[in-house]
Amino acid sequence: MSFQKEKMVGKTVTSRRIPSSFRDPSGFLFFREGSIYRQVNTVYKEDYDRLMSCGLYEALVDTRVLIPHQEVDVESVKSDEAYKVIEPEPVPCISYPYEWCFSQLKDAALATLKIQKISLDHGMSLKDCSAYNIQFRKGRPLFIDTLSFEKYREGEPWVAYRQFCQHFLAPLALMSCKDIRLNQLLRVHIDGVPLDLASSLLPFRTRFVFSLLSHIHLHAKSQKYYAGKTVDTSTHRMAHRSFLGLIDSLESAVKKLTWEPQGTEWAEYYKDTSYSPNALRHKRELASELLDRVNAKIVWDLGANVGMFSRIAAGKGIATVSFDIDPAAVEKNYLECVRRGETNILPLVFDLTNPSPNIGWENQERMSLLERGPADTVLALALIHHLAIANNLPLERIASFLGRICSSLIIEFVPKSDSQVERLLSTREDIFPEYTQEAFESEFGRYFSIQSSVRIRDSERTLYLMRKRET
Amino acid sequence: MKSLGHLITLGILVTFLYFVSVGEAYAYLDPGTGSYMFQLAIALLAGGFFAIKLYWRRIKAFFGSVLSKRKNGGKNSD
Repeated sequence: MSFQKEKMVGKTVTSRRIPSSFRDPSGFLFFREGSIYRQVNTVYKEDYDRLMSCGLYEALVDTRVLIPHQEVDVESVKSDEAYKVIEPEPVPCISYPYEWCFSQLKDAALATLKIQKISLDHGMSLKDCSAYNIQFRKGRPLFIDTLSFEKYREGEPWVAYRQFCQHFLAPLALMSCKDIRLNQLLRVHIDGVPLDLASSLLPFRTRFVFSLLSHIHLHAKSQKYYAGKTVDTSTHRMAHRSFLGLIDSLESAVKKLTWEPQGTEWAEYYKDTSYSPNALRHKRELASELLDRVNAKIVWDLGANVGMFSRIAAGKGIATVSFDIDPAAVEKNYLECVRRGETNILPLVFDLTNPSPNIGWENQERMSLLERGPADTVLALALIHHLAIANNLPLERIASFLGRICSSLIIEFVPKSDSQVERLLSTREDIFPEYTQEAFESEFGRYFSIQSSVRIRDSERTLYLMRKRET
Repeated sequence: MKSLGHLITLGILVTFLYFVSVGEAYAYLDPGTGSYMFQLAIALLAGGFFAIKLYWRRIKAFFGSVLSKRKNGGKNSD
């Protein structure tokens, strides 16, 4: 899940452009021998020099909202267009807006507006505020596209206004006012939620909230009214104060949007679970010991809920991605990260039975989950019964999938006699005669060698450490 | 002033359209022009609010400092 994954898996790579980096004529990203670089094209020379010399770069890096970089002497992929080559600091885990919880998207939106305000103070402006320009690093949103700044020209409107509304305000409003799951619209609409769609989905009451009435509903109407019409833009000017007012208005609109993570099934999991305090304590101790044994650098915690076990990994300094299907659990996890100032956990909303695919132009702009792997270690705790029984996934297919995304696996087997599995089976026919501990060991044994298995005290469950077999 | 009048007219027109027209959207048409024109109108309004907000903050800060001076003065005289 890293820009530098090719380095990690030890492949030798010559220079090649990153497939998602092609829209901006100002430059592009490329790999060269395991590291990532950004070429600054000659056409962007003036704005790049301005960014670096006017104090904006230092101001943004000092505020920790822009990725720091170094100018390097590296041969580019298209050297005839190159002005400079820069090496941005690595981002350990790449994630996308449709994988973020509400507060992650909100913080990303506020970070973007903060960057725009600081830019205006330095006589520059964001020409691109795609949500994909934000990545989470060390627990906080970070703007990663160094070439998105241009000189602010007095009188010109904000070229990225529509993009901000589509990428941030519309999905946040839908998540806050309609349904938290509507951030998934970003997976379908790669350039943000179309405003006419957002307007039609938002409840009628949002028409009485001035910020949403204006930036979404009336904005959408205006788009429709002017569709196909030609307008002479040279006669219109937008005063600097109006520009500041617009940013202030968007900031206030975003800040007013809230969502309380409650009432979903999994966010209350640890309050309503079959573990005794003794069993939970033992499971935590075992997980910690096994993590020490595998010496992981990157852990993916699948079905992490609010991140109880992710925190054990993160506490050891391991970069941990904390996946869960429940937006409320992920929201609680993220808010806890922010509250505690945790830097090693990235909580993400993820449906393991339908993980993020490759999307965008040529199916190459945004990476699938598999493409962002493999992780060193996968934690799959209290997960197997949900996949095998609630989702009818054969054990062999689960083992095969996990074998593709990690080299070490810490997995908990939950037998049919466990109260949680009994609950799952209470509303469905037991068509899972193969779901036994023997079959589990046999199927997983095809892809992994079992290093250890320990029964968790006061429970029916067993915790395994497995290593992927060499193929 | 001409452009201000144009923007106000635009604002009224868009508001009017909002309340009277309901229909399907044409997503395949470029929404950029509508966004551009709308931004000019809403930014004009937002700019006005922003100016009022700034002045209001200054007024509050002024009276805040006057009151705190009086309080401090009162305390000192005790």
